[in-house]
Amino acid sequence: MFNRGSQRGRRVIAISPNGPTGNGDEVEARFLAPHFESEGFPWLQIFGYIGSLLLTIAALLAVVQHILSPIGLLTVILILAVAQAALQLGIFMHLRESRGSTWHIITLGLGIVIALGLVGMSMWIMTFKSGVS
Amino acid sequence: MNLPVEPNATQTKLPLEFTDNHESLKILGFWSFLATDLLLFASLFAVYAVYQSRIGMAGPSPDQLFKLGPAVVETLLLLTSSFTCGLAVYEMRHGHKTGTIAWLIVTILLGIGFVTTEIREFVSYIALGDSWHHSAFLSAFFTLVGTHGAHVSFGILWAITLIIQLAGRGLTTITTRKMYMFALYWHFLDIIWVFIFTVVYLNGKI
Repeated sequence: MFNRGSQRGRRVIAISPNGPTGNGDEVEARFLAPHFESEGFPWLQIFGYIGSLLLTIAALLAVVQHILSPIGLLTVILILAVAQAALQLGIFMHLRESRGSTWHIITLGLGIVIALGLVGMSMWIMTFKSGVS
Repeated sequence: MNLPVEPNATQTKLPLEFTDNHESLKILGFWSFLATDLLLFASLFAVYAVYQSRIGMAGPSPDQLFKLGPAVVETLLLLTSSFTCGLAVYEMRHGHKTGTIAWLIVTILLGIGFVTTEIREFVSYIALGDSWHHSAFLSAFFTLVGTHGAHVSFGILWAITLIIQLAGRGLTTITTRKMYMFALYWHFLDIIWVFIFTVVYLNGKI
């Protein structure tokens, strides 16, 4: 149940079923109030689509035209890919939308940290060209 | 069957899929699944990054194997399907059942186009003798890209069952939650493909 009430002049949204418990959920709710979009026309989606197309075309042209050294090119297209992932997350996956808590961002963040560690450390360990390779 | 809406939840103008506490938790649970799926793909990316230069005694290098044409077509199809899936959620949020189903059908057709293009690409490689058992690089390539293609194929089947449910039951707390989850899954696959396009195809042409 969402109890909208006033507590010391500030608006509080309780996220527990029985209203504010006094155990911290009010604090969480105050800063992470439910946030949902309601636009009249899907401008955001159109912006996201055009943005992702532009980022893809930029990466493709950069590689086809060989505008930089190999290391520079790889850096640029990886940055473009990360930008496009952020765009998909923010616009299409409604990352900012939540019901009073943002545990999905924490879960996803942990997944990203482990994923980067997995890929990065695998590549790092294989740069030691010892007997096994 | 529609779950009872909490009395005061309607006043906060929550989207239908977030009005019920348990359905909201299922969405959080699906984010956890996506985090673990991310780890699956991270493992395959790690294998590819390590083995992309190891072509063994025979077999082509990434530069010799890939043609950018099919990869660009696949990227455009998947980016557009991600957009139409976003429009389906937009229509759902505005309570338009027909619009939701229509954009979902467009999404499925684009997804079928993607899978078809990818299968044709794989067949063209195998026809030249570059099968997955030929070198460590080819094994890593077919596993990584094939796992993503299997995810998309599963997503198409999921979307078909979703359309049947939406048509039969309308926009309820449960069907909108399922639609929201499918959208998360589909956009997640688009993000994975962006990295496959970058790390596998574009990187192979540098």
